Amino acid sequence: MAKKKMSTKAKIQLLVFLIAYVVVGVLNVKLGGLPPTPGEALKNVANRWIVGPSSGPWYTRINPMTIIMSWVIIGLIIWFAKSVNKEYSIVPSNKQSFAESLMEFVYDIVQSSIPDERYAKITFKLAMTLFIYIAVANLIGGFIPGISVDVSKTIAENGEVVRNVKFVLFSDTWFPPTADLNTNLTYAVMVFLISQYFGIKVKGIKAWLKGFLEPVPILLPMNIIGELAKPVSHSLRLFGNITGGGILVLTLSYFVKYMFLPPFLWGYFGIFSGLIQAFVFSTLTIAYISSQLA
Amino acid sequence: MDQESVKILAEAIVTAGKAIGAGLCMGLGAIGPGVGEGHVGGHAMDAIARQPELTNVIVTRMLLADAIAETTGIYSLLITFLILFAL
Repeated sequence: MAKKKMSTKAKIQLLVFLIAYVVVGVLNVKLGGLPPTPGEALKNVANRWIVGPSSGPWYTRINPMTIIMSWVIIGLIIWFAKSVNKEYSIVPSNKQSFAESLMEFVYDIVQSSIPDERYAKITFKLAMTLFIYIAVANLIGGFIPGISVDVSKTIAENGEVVRNVKFVLFSDTWFPPTADLNTNLTYAVMVFLISQYFGIKVKGIKAWLKGFLEPVPILLPMNIIGELAKPVSHSLRLFGNITGGGILVLTLSYFVKYMFLPPFLWGYFGIFSGLIQAFVFSTLTIAYISSQLA
Repeated sequence: MDQESVKILAEAIVTAGKAIGAGLCMGLGAIGPGVGEGHVGGHAMDAIARQPELTNVIVTRMLLADAIAETTGIYSLLITFLILFAL
């Protein structure tokens, strides 16, 4: 089989990207400097930028980085979809065939789990949206250097905790919105409520309530806890992989991070783990919904 | 003992507690996924040996089962980071 050669335009683009990468890495070392100890470098890793009064109910505070990055990703996906839609033809181009094969991949999984046609359509839209959004969010926060925040906590004079926010440019990856527990918990609770609603709609309220008493009525607490544990594990799996992976890479490479982002580490934690977690999230969505329909 | 050395001793005890807690938490939590994913991988190898034409499908399903078996290890990692950095 003849090897496919890269066109000259692609080679030039790759060269420019490589030179920019090395230059940014060297500039980071010159201007930033290396921190003295690992404890010093990892001090601020668990702090988030939170805007609002620090005491009071939970709905008076927001996390601006999550909101900004969510809208950036939504804008990216809509821009990509529009650019595919412009050159829509029977003989597909590269972008269009990529998008179509992605949708067919998820549609096969939905078809094999849910035989009913109406619910299969709704589940396909839900699972496809979640898959694309979480995959793009994990990839952006995985290995692409960009603007991020570094938050340090200090105690002010009147005793309250003050967060000093500092924007770092291009020495850390973008902030993925899935690194915030709010995003993941929202999606998991949404999937839980949708699956229970479909269960009630298909089986009726009596049969749905009777389902908790199967196979033996004494197992009622176990069934309820089993149902409630699904959103918990669903959300914490994604949150732990993304946030924990980020902190792990920082811990393992805090020296090398200021020279260049070590490619093999980011390759495993960012690309491989991010794509697999997106696939697992959407497949489990399909599994939870189909387990209530049967 | 005077105030200063009591403060230093208290801080040292807190740091020691954090270190021991984090080490035990992650250390014991790393046993589970290793054993579990080894089993999954072994059965996947058996299945591939029986029907080599289904390798792609089997590997996809094996990675899916891997990610689910990894979950409790990730819970341990989260608690370890909580102990080390936010407490």
